[in-house]
Amino acid sequence: MAQKREDITLKDKTRDAHAAQKGKRRWRVSRRGFLIGAGVTGAGLALGWRYGLPEARLAIANNLETAGAPGQTEGPVTAWFEVLPDNQMILYMPKVEMGQGVHTSLAQIAAEELEYPFENLKVVSASTDRGIKDGFGTGASNTVSTLFTPLREAAATMRELMRSKAAETWNVEPTSVVAMDGTFFQQANPNEVMTYGEVVEGVSDWDIPKDPPELKPISEFRYIGKALKRVDFEDKLTGRAVYGYDVRVPDMVYGAVARPPTIGATLASASEGSAREQPGVIDVVIQEGFAGVVAKTRAQASRGVEALELTWTAADPIQQSDIEALVQVSDTGGVVIQREGRTRANLDKGKLIEGEYRSPMAAHAHLEPQAAMVNVKADKVTAQVSTQSPGLVRDEIAEVLGRDKEEVEVTATYLGGGFGRRLNVEVALEAARLSQAVGTPVHVGWNRTEEFRDGYVRPPTHSVLRGSLDDAGNILAIEHVQSSGDVAFPFFPNFLVSLFGADFGAWRGSRFHYDGIENRHVVSQRAKLPLKTGWWRGLGLLCNTFAVESFMDELAHEAGADALEFRLRHLSDSEHGTRMKAVLSAASERAGWGAPVAEGRARGIACSTDVRTVCAQVAEVSVEDGKIRVHKMTAAIDPGLVINPDGVTAQTQGSIVMGLSSTFFEKLTVKDSQFEAANFDRYPLLTMKETPEIEVVILESGDKPFGMGEPPLGPVAAAVGNAVFALTGQRLRELPFKLA
Amino acid sequence: MDLKINGQTFSSEAEAGDMLLWVLRDDLGLTGTKFGCGIGICGSCTVTIDGNAMRSCVTPVAAAEGKDIRTVEGLATLDADGNEQLHPIQEAFIEAQVPQCAWCMNGQMMTALAFLERADSPTEEDIVSAMGNNYCRCGCYARIKVAVANAAETVQAAKTQEVG
Repeated sequence: MAQKREDITLKDKTRDAHAAQKGKRRWRVSRRGFLIGAGVTGAGLALGWRYGLPEARLAIANNLETAGAPGQTEGPVTAWFEVLPDNQMILYMPKVEMGQGVHTSLAQIAAEELEYPFENLKVVSASTDRGIKDGFGTGASNTVSTLFTPLREAAATMRELMRSKAAETWNVEPTSVVAMDGTFFQQANPNEVMTYGEVVEGVSDWDIPKDPPELKPISEFRYIGKALKRVDFEDKLTGRAVYGYDVRVPDMVYGAVARPPTIGATLASASEGSAREQPGVIDVVIQEGFAGVVAKTRAQASRGVEALELTWTAADPIQQSDIEALVQVSDTGGVVIQREGRTRANLDKGKLIEGEYRSPMAAHAHLEPQAAMVNVKADKVTAQVSTQSPGLVRDEIAEVLGRDKEEVEVTATYLGGGFGRRLNVEVALEAARLSQAVGTPVHVGWNRTEEFRDGYVRPPTHSVLRGSLDDAGNILAIEHVQSSGDVAFPFFPNFLVSLFGADFGAWRGSRFHYDGIENRHVVSQRAKLPLKTGWWRGLGLLCNTFAVESFMDELAHEAGADALEFRLRHLSDSEHGTRMKAVLSAASERAGWGAPVAEGRARGIACSTDVRTVCAQVAEVSVEDGKIRVHKMTAAIDPGLVINPDGVTAQTQGSIVMGLSSTFFEKLTVKDSQFEAANFDRYPLLTMKETPEIEVVILESGDKPFGMGEPPLGPVAAAVGNAVFALTGQRLRELPFKLA
Repeated sequence: MDLKINGQTFSSEAEAGDMLLWVLRDDLGLTGTKFGCGIGICGSCTVTIDGNAMRSCVTPVAAAEGKDIRTVEGLATLDADGNEQLHPIQEAFIEAQVPQCAWCMNGQMMTALAFLERADSPTEEDIVSAMGNNYCRCGCYARIKVAVANAAETVQAAKTQEVG
């Protein structure tokens, strides 16, 4: 009898859950947007928090730069907790772990207000069904800054809901119930203890508080601000962690897709050829502009693709020189993205200095190639994908397959690096098409050549800068005109492209943050290129800062000033100016700026600000056998409130290594309409051998965290170039560096 | 053919020319060994074969037949109570909070394993020379160096104990 009743309950739950997905019933939504209901497992308590991305971000460039990328979001994002009766708490992560450590920092933030032991909190990647409605995904260094307050408010609400229930059970006032480490006890009678799990068990009726509970002051933080160990490392270091390339499900087969022989070529015609007769081949899928093969193994799928008969329509031929000619600052045109004072008039006064800088195309070179498993069934499409944008992948799969979005569930796996390349992942759509054809789960994993040739790349840039100095050696006016291939625009609908005018990704890092300079002017010119460019870690930050901060060095040199003192004197006492001065001072002090340097070495300094995080770096270099060697990088960084200092250090170290790799090695070139590099033999990365000592000084300011995943990339190349100038008198104007 | 992996025998229908990496990953489900480049440069696929660090993406499975193959899944051991005991190298990598995305870390640890089996009291230069051919795109090199140096001490102590 009891069994029967349970069956009915379960059925009801399924129906309710279905209704909830359609946005009806089930979840009671309060005015403040809290969601509440039973956990997914049908027991315990789950709670989420709806929030919209600030629309103000769409308004003006000033906002864009402080907030990161605008959301292409169509609705709210939801973060979820769940308490199970055995007192296990689960945090369903609405953001993707690609190495940057957000699963750890978000868990720290959640555990703080939950009053739940951080080390017991189970962290799970949320699927799109669970609440990721976030079209933009994980990027722009905005995870922690956007979730910091919503997550704490949701966690505190969760705790208070449970506290009220505990008080009710004990028949005492909620104020006399203390929450500690996942349990409640009575203040007057500490032996009366209930775990959170015990409190939630069997309860179905919850009263949502009208106001969000008061949040802890910083002085009471016990998890936020601590160098807690990463939650994902044990799985990652034992081989248990599942990345997109590692997904294995029953009956899974493998797919491979035909690739254009040259950049921009499109499929003119395709026929099966002898593909179907190849060993292991299960199916050949030919659709408009698409040809792929499904087989029992990856190798068989690839051999099947080789046996297809394909003809391609080539795009207009391109050479490297064509691309370089297109990325060229011109005297007219472009969109003004910074206008302070009267720059043009003041450039004509004083001593005029000009400089120009270039950066090449570069690859993301994340070590896990694109990978996705998609399982298309009649009632449901499930996908596990190495993606930064599970919400977008869901929408795209639905579109390609002609299904309702609600029928598609996408879960982001762990990512073997993201760096912007996984904000848009074609591989999931390839797996979806193939799975639809064969009716079983299909895994598609790219090889390294597909990575180098079939994705999008960091666009090349050209910067022309002009500045004028007065008699005292102060900057009267400064101007930056930059040309760049697209970064964000390729992924935006046309109306947004017209609305923005300039690509905020392309000009990221190009503005002058020296607020002591009265006249500042920056123009962004769009270079339309005949190949795919797009998101790359920090967007334009590294290359634009290379131009701006190398030019600041030129001006300092012309003014006969010390490079540090020159920067400091062009910053005001504003909040931003003060923070910039603090990191400049801290980095230079730690690096021994001004003190004698070892013979044959010199130091250079540079700084940047990005998503409100300020960073300064000092490079110490020598030249040995005509080659530049970096001995030490000293960084000072102020990311606002620090969630995990070791995470800040790790992101700074990693950004510096990635920045140095761009500074010395990385350059993609095109020859005869194809990228010359097909693998790392033609596109080497920096290794441990070239990695210098890196010291990181963390300065903390304020009560809100800013971004950490990209900002420390900013100053790297400029700091090194400025050090090389100090040593050799040679101004390096193009990445990657080569001494004359 | 039979393959001896982490002390266990696995039977595989792989052909002699198939690369060990894909046999491990797709055939046997040992996905801890990662694919990065397929031409033996990046090091993500490193395993040890008879104690030597090898790039499994360019090692035909026939070359590993009958030999002792060790992968990241075989680093940790189970103690008498069935609890997992991490290898000193894994411990050192956690202690130094080395990884970020960790896709390359299998290769880093397996390279370190082969290196530390042979190296006595390695210098910093020795470590850079041994570890300097494995890519880490997240840029964890400084921490890898620290972790390998720390693991060297533990491994050395264990070796001394064995000898003693």
